[in-house]
Amino acid sequence: MKPLILLAFGLVFLASCDDEMPRSEEIAIENPTTYEFLRNNESTVSFSGQTARINMGTELIGAMMDFDKTTESLLEMYANQTASGADANPYADASLNESTKSVKSKVAASSDFFSTNSAESARIKSDIGSWIVAQVEEVFPNKDVLAESGRAGQIADGSSVRYVSAKGLEYNQAVNKSLIGALMVDQILNNYLSISVLDAGDNMANNDADIVAEGKSYTSMEHKWDEAYGYLFGLARDESNPLATLGEDSFLNKYLSRVNDDSDFENIASDIFEAFKLGRAAIVAKDYQVRDQQAEIIRDRLAQVIAVRAIYYLQSGKNAIASDDLGGAFHDLSEGFGFVYSLRFLRQANSSNPYFTREDVDGFVNMLTEGNGFWDIDAATLDSMSDIIADKFDFTVAQAAG
Amino acid sequence: MNISKYFFIISIFFVGFIIACDDGDENPSETASFDRREMLTNWADNIIVPAFINYRNYLQNLVESKDAFILRPNESTYDSLTAAWLQAYKTWQHVSMFDIGKAESIGLRNFTNIYPTDNALINENISSQVYNLELPSNFDAQGFPAIDYLLFGIGGSKEQIIEQLSSDDHSQYLSDLINRLYTLTDTVTEDWLNSYSEEFINNDGSSATASVDKVVNDFLFYYEKYLRAGKVGIPAGVFSGNKISSAVEAPYSGIHSKLLFLEGLEAVQNFFIGNHFEKGTRGISLKDYLDFVRPQNNDADIAMNIVDQWGSAISKTQGISDNLKEQVETDNVKMLELYDELQIAVVLMKVDMMQALNIQVDYVDADGD
Repeated sequence: MKPLILLAFGLVFLASCDDEMPRSEEIAIENPTTYEFLRNNESTVSFSGQTARINMGTELIGAMMDFDKTTESLLEMYANQTASGADANPYADASLNESTKSVKSKVAASSDFFSTNSAESARIKSDIGSWIVAQVEEVFPNKDVLAESGRAGQIADGSSVRYVSAKGLEYNQAVNKSLIGALMVDQILNNYLSISVLDAGDNMANNDADIVAEGKSYTSMEHKWDEAYGYLFGLARDESNPLATLGEDSFLNKYLSRVNDDSDFENIASDIFEAFKLGRAAIVAKDYQVRDQQAEIIRDRLAQVIAVRAIYYLQSGKNAIASDDLGGAFHDLSEGFGFVYSLRFLRQANSSNPYFTREDVDGFVNMLTEGNGFWDIDAATLDSMSDIIADKFDFTVAQAAG
Repeated sequence: MNISKYFFIISIFFVGFIIACDDGDENPSETASFDRREMLTNWADNIIVPAFINYRNYLQNLVESKDAFILRPNESTYDSLTAAWLQAYKTWQHVSMFDIGKAESIGLRNFTNIYPTDNALINENISSQVYNLELPSNFDAQGFPAIDYLLFGIGGSKEQIIEQLSSDDHSQYLSDLINRLYTLTDTVTEDWLNSYSEEFINNDGSSATASVDKVVNDFLFYYEKYLRAGKVGIPAGVFSGNKISSAVEAPYSGIHSKLLFLEGLEAVQNFFIGNHFEKGTRGISLKDYLDFVRPQNNDADIAMNIVDQWGSAISKTQGISDNLKEQVETDNVKMLELYDELQIAVVLMKVDMMQALNIQVDYVDADGD
């Protein structure tokens, strides 16, 4: 069924490419070999805000393992302001302190999924905030205690030390991996690649007429597309050729790299990069049909990245439990928890529907955390979750686990 | 006409039959007919248990030498203590790879030999006198590496070290570390003697949780991570690109690091060949298993290749200083050459051997996150 749809999609795509009947002002798409776009010899690509938020997230995740931090200082790193809304300077990197941007303001904040769903958006922002607080209140005081069922503390994972909640959850992993969905994926798929954002206001007319944003080298539509790109490739050493050094952050980029390393998904990074590049070139050529087709490819592939990684960690956790390696299992399941939480933000291609509803994800979280959480969880539960997730996609649990 | 027709049908039938037979006759049933139980019995009775008993005896010596030193701290008791520490450390190399049963569940290796040791944490534990050695965060503040620091690294001349060690807080910590090594090892040894040997030998199937599959994985993991990387590769900077001479085993005493590596490599070879612990005899082991499946593997002599490769590694150590820290600092190329020889054997074992024996590698390189 699915291959047929893809085939049909491919035919439509080919047909549209073959269609050489230009609209009055249509220009041929010039697809460059790297993500480099110029206007009057000046680069039109900019995503410094995305790079800043990735860096803020990196500092926040690191600080959650610094036992000298307080709830207050960690929450300031999340919101880049004080509890009362005043300016805060919580970061080690001074340029981040100068920035007015923050992680929290863009969590579950996409136009398509959350603009009229502020209750759920607030709930997600607060879930992540609550794990940050719990790290300080539950885990820090027990940093020198051995964890056991129902008691927070430390547990060995090989020769590494993991710090877990009473349910076995590493809150730093929960925050790190949940942000991949709630910040990066949501902003890319449901905001910056959305027609509602790309074509907002006069964007299309301005792009058609090459009217750049005030004081900038880019049109507003070009910039929106680049902001999507920045949430995935914002820390790339060479922003125009990011695949050469994939895996450079602790968020989406890293896990695209991991999935791409699995031979079952070996073209996924290049599919995504090529779609970003062609879509951007299509904007330059004012071909919005090709642009939107590329957005759908990115939606399809990034959804796979998150779902594959969720299953991968659930299965790794299951295998570690089977070999009595609880510390290893808890670490896998903590990462899995965050990827499962991130499922909420995936979007089916050619649709505005999510793959998983709030209720679906709440159900998964409940399966992972009920009773004493990871201390109690069994293989059947982890397999059943993995099956439910894989059923929505074209890959099997075994392929994702490999 | 008729005959040839029948012949044709029969031969089709035959071909089908042969194919079906071939299908059911792949490696698993062949490898299963090797006497795994006899091999497990040899491992337990003639290698693992005697090695643990021997190690425990040397730890007993270490405890006694330590008690004598604390009672009467002087140059003579200090020398006995350091000699007992070295003996115990050498014998540890012969049990480190057997991370199975109680050793695995209590984390014996993590509490025994994680290095580089964290001397700042050790100093903090000593001065605060509040520490819980059962915590994973204290892995690198205990065991042989921490004792190496206390006996050789706390500074000054031998007299000054003895002086410092004889203070109450230092001798208490030293005593706790050594007693803990003994207690942990006693738990593991007693478990082998009381019940685990039988359980280990009875688990003689060929699944991922069977004893053979687990021990072979433990053996390979030890070789790859602890011997090749820990003792040679990491200090030589193979993974980080920067040499880290302080990351050698026992850097404070210095001159024993090559010896400890050679003990480890000898233990690996003894296990592979099936040499009975500290006896001139041998029983069946991986070498025999590989020879047994050799006809199914295009007659490739994997066992000989592996043994020869270790010979090449050993010959590389001949030009290397007894003090690997010094070697890294003065002529690291020799360390890298040794690493390369060790690495070639990883490929021979992890790919050729594991495929030939139809055993799945059950560990992956750590995620790093």
